[in-house]
Amino acid sequence: MEVEVDDNDLKAAGAELLTEGRRGIRIHGWEVHSRNCSILTSSTLELWGEKLQTSHLPEMIFGDSCLVLKHIKSGTKIHFNAFDALLGWKQEALPPVEVPAAEKWKFRSKPSQQVILDYDYTFTTPYRGSETIEIDATKHEREGVSEETYNLQWEDCKEKIDVATLAPKEPILFYDEVILYEDELADNGVSLLTVKVRVMPSSWFLLLRFWLRVDGVLMRIRDTRMHCIFGDNANPTILRESCWRESTFQSLSAKGYPSDSAAYADPSTINERLPIVMHKSEVLKVPGNF
Amino acid sequence: MGMNSFSESNLDLDEQISQLMECKPLSEQQVRGLCEKAKEILMDESNVQPVKSPVTICGDIHGQFHDLAELFRIGGKCPDTNYLFMGDYVDRGYYSVETVTLLVALKVRYPQRITILRGNHESRQTFTDLFDYFPLTALVESEIFCLHGGLSPSIETLDSIRNFDRVQEVPHEGPMCDLLWSDPDDRCGWGISPRGAGYTFGQDISEQFNHTNSLKLIARAHQLVMDGFNWAHEQKVVTIFSAPNYCYRCGNMASILEVDDCKSHTFIQFEPAPRRGEPDVTRRTPDYFL
Repeated sequence: MEVEVDDNDLKAAGAELLTEGRRGIRIHGWEVHSRNCSILTSSTLELWGEKLQTSHLPEMIFGDSCLVLKHIKSGTKIHFNAFDALLGWKQEALPPVEVPAAEKWKFRSKPSQQVILDYDYTFTTPYRGSETIEIDATKHEREGVSEETYNLQWEDCKEKIDVATLAPKEPILFYDEVILYEDELADNGVSLLTVKVRVMPSSWFLLLRFWLRVDGVLMRIRDTRMHCIFGDNANPTILRESCWRESTFQSLSAKGYPSDSAAYADPSTINERLPIVMHKSEVLKVPGNF
Repeated sequence: MGMNSFSESNLDLDEQISQLMECKPLSEQQVRGLCEKAKEILMDESNVQPVKSPVTICGDIHGQFHDLAELFRIGGKCPDTNYLFMGDYVDRGYYSVETVTLLVALKVRYPQRITILRGNHESRQTFTDLFDYFPLTALVESEIFCLHGGLSPSIETLDSIRNFDRVQEVPHEGPMCDLLWSDPDDRCGWGISPRGAGYTFGQDISEQFNHTNSLKLIARAHQLVMDGFNWAHEQKVVTIFSAPNYCYRCGNMASILEVDDCKSHTFIQFEPAPRRGEPDVTRRTPDYFL
């Protein structure tokens, strides 16, 4: 499963891979760790249904899979998981997108027996990652600090991620892709939430992508990128850029683009065709020691 | 047909089956010949094909050929064990054509020993019109009703299914579509989904249907379940899924349901077969994504 990384590259960057079967890397005071697990068991699925107050969840939820980026000294933890993403889906609660087949659909059951399932079956989420500060309990006792929650504050900014610094000049010391959830929309398209990470000697970079294609109707890409450049500063900053794109098949074909779903299998190649509906840059100053 | 040519054609078939068992595809001409013979056999089968016990009931396979081979190792070879497959032989996995061809070859060779139903993935896009001939449902010993998806508000009795003209592409709407698409649900009554594929049906509906038709159980496939099988509606309905580690990444178990001479039920769970020649999807090649 491990992709070979050059030992010399690791050494030169002052990095070490995690051991004991954990996938990840320690570099410049950060621990980046990823985990890919099975889909939820039926009993856990039931529990999630109760917590999220729904009986409709994506077909494949990789509920124990995660990506965690932890700044060891401050305990600042940026992480990605399916539960928080689905919590976002429940809260946003978009109206359902109607597929062409549904229009032809007739109510054939007795009205008294009908239930309309009007939830957002596309599982569209505004999720842009989770963040917490994990405090070392022993240190607390020692210093007599009471248990407290620290809120991490993302601040709006004008800066953009410098793509030039991310060009393939440096070796990738650690890479992984984690699928958080996926649904084939009853064969009407795809709904997929994934996060990819790569760690280089000078920075880490990640892309969280929600990708939706409702065949013949609509496409959505909700990307969140984070970039953290390693420096001498003990309090690093993380730049976060979110870009949401959306288009109907109808407006794509009006622009002369193809309107068959086969042309839209890979979101990264069609990104440019979809107009931006939301863009936002933020910065997080990782706090000093607690 | 003389005795000689009959045994000769069986000899050919046996050769084809052993070739397919090694996951080696047949020539186009051989496949065409098989399809023609299969159509002749399937044409005479009922929309509610009667099946005797003992029989082993299987769910979705989705082109995971090596897992189908594993299923036969665990459940017993055909014709030593009788089989009933509830559809979705194609898509997702790497070996759709090999999977369908093997099942069709077994059907032609042992028509009384194996029953192959139609799933929602068996559409004309993948195998011309052969799938149109597959029965929609089967009835084991007059008490276990087997089908791919589920119930339909337009169908109260098994007799009404018997009268369908099934030899056609599955329509986008209507009772034939429901049988291949519907799902059991926790909510009572008929659920209508905005994504427009089949209905959801509640326990009240299953109880009424089983009572009207003197059934003990509805066995269906269609949904991924972590343990390979999942009871619903107080054991009136069971979902069986026979593709372990679905899409080569879900980590789920597969199962088959053995119904013995005395009509008692045993689920057998199984894990993915060790495989050769398939890409390992857990191995992720680093890429300089942006």
